[in-house]
Amino acid sequence: MISSLQVFTGDYLALWNIRDDNKHLRLVIADYQQQLDQYREAYARNRYLENELKFKKEENFPSLTARVIGKDPSFWFQTLIVDRGKSDGVIEGMVARTSLGVVGQVIQVSDNYAKILLTNAPSSAIDAMIQKNRVRGILKGAADKGYVLYYVLKNADVVVGDRIVTGIGGVFRSGIPLGTVSAVRSKRRGMFQEIEVAPIVDFGQLEMVFIDLSEKQKIAEEMRITVNPVVE
Amino acid sequence: MLMLSFSLVGISLVVCQASIFYLFSSWLGSPDLVFILIAFMAYRFDWLRGLCLVLVLSWVMDVISGLYLGTYPLLYLFLFVSLKFFKEKSPVKEVAYQVPLVGVAFLAEYSGMYAIYSLVLPGILPEWSWARILQETLILTVATIPCFLLYNSLFEYMSKRRFVAPRILRKRSGNYFR
Repeated sequence: MISSLQVFTGDYLALWNIRDDNKHLRLVIADYQQQLDQYREAYARNRYLENELKFKKEENFPSLTARVIGKDPSFWFQTLIVDRGKSDGVIEGMVARTSLGVVGQVIQVSDNYAKILLTNAPSSAIDAMIQKNRVRGILKGAADKGYVLYYVLKNADVVVGDRIVTGIGGVFRSGIPLGTVSAVRSKRRGMFQEIEVAPIVDFGQLEMVFIDLSEKQKIAEEMRITVNPVVE
Repeated sequence: MLMLSFSLVGISLVVCQASIFYLFSSWLGSPDLVFILIAFMAYRFDWLRGLCLVLVLSWVMDVISGLYLGTYPLLYLFLFVSLKFFKEKSPVKEVAYQVPLVGVAFLAEYSGMYAIYSLVLPGILPEWSWARILQETLILTVATIPCFLLYNSLFEYMSKRRFVAPRILRKRSGNYFR
């Protein structure tokens, strides 16, 4: 009787200890979970930065890395705000890119920030071409719908999945990826096809962009801007 | 103090809208909280103070948002003036229409803005979408209720609170022995 009572008391006390251990372990797990989340974020960020760095090294153009600090709060305008401005040598008309493709063009510059018009803005138009057969057209932004490629003749060979890159004219260098064809429609009337293009860049996920500093003088002349030398 | 505190609230809202709201999922939309603040000011502030604040906030918003300068000052000034007139001329009790009127004003103003842009600068804005504009109107109208409660508490707190200058700033009387 006494021994069974001792066993019961021992088990009961052990349960109390287990409860404390359980509480402690739960806290430890929560702590590890938090650490794991941090490591995951750090890993993902590292991968992203590694890709961007690789791109920066491989692509041979003078670029300025800019962090995205804001997005246009209005649902009609597709612009980004970055933390680089006149003091870093940015001028209106410069091209913003990522490792994936074209992001947009600088439209307003202040001393320490710049506003970039995204390529999916309806006011944006880029000379583009279908990579496989070099057929050219004008790629216009369609906001949430991505892009629409205009002025491609009906006899041109275009299928869903074709890659669209920047064309020969304009401020964008030739061959930069823009997107892939997501739909092709050909109406009975008219000369041209209706081509929808899905952007290669996810504009909602942008963290940083590279501003192309090459051809600054040419852009400045085109935009009629006086370029001041950058103070180091 | 009232002006200063509401200016700070407004500027914080502009910063939040530009730097945080785009991280939210798309179904939440991007409610224009400054629009709600201006509507509140039209209901509660007098003409002079209200107009001064509207101009300050709309200029700040203009720098952050949009492609063409002057859009937001026009939009917000029109909102403030129209709501203020409506409030002063309407025989109906203000509480009955306060929140729905903000939604109606948003719908009317943005539709008007779209029409003007389409006439003056065609192709600048995306295709008109009733679904999108109604979604944004609904989100804004729902967001108006907590925002109005918050702004009202701040307004009442700041109105009751008398600004007391620090001792060092107070003018001393000539009698130093008093």
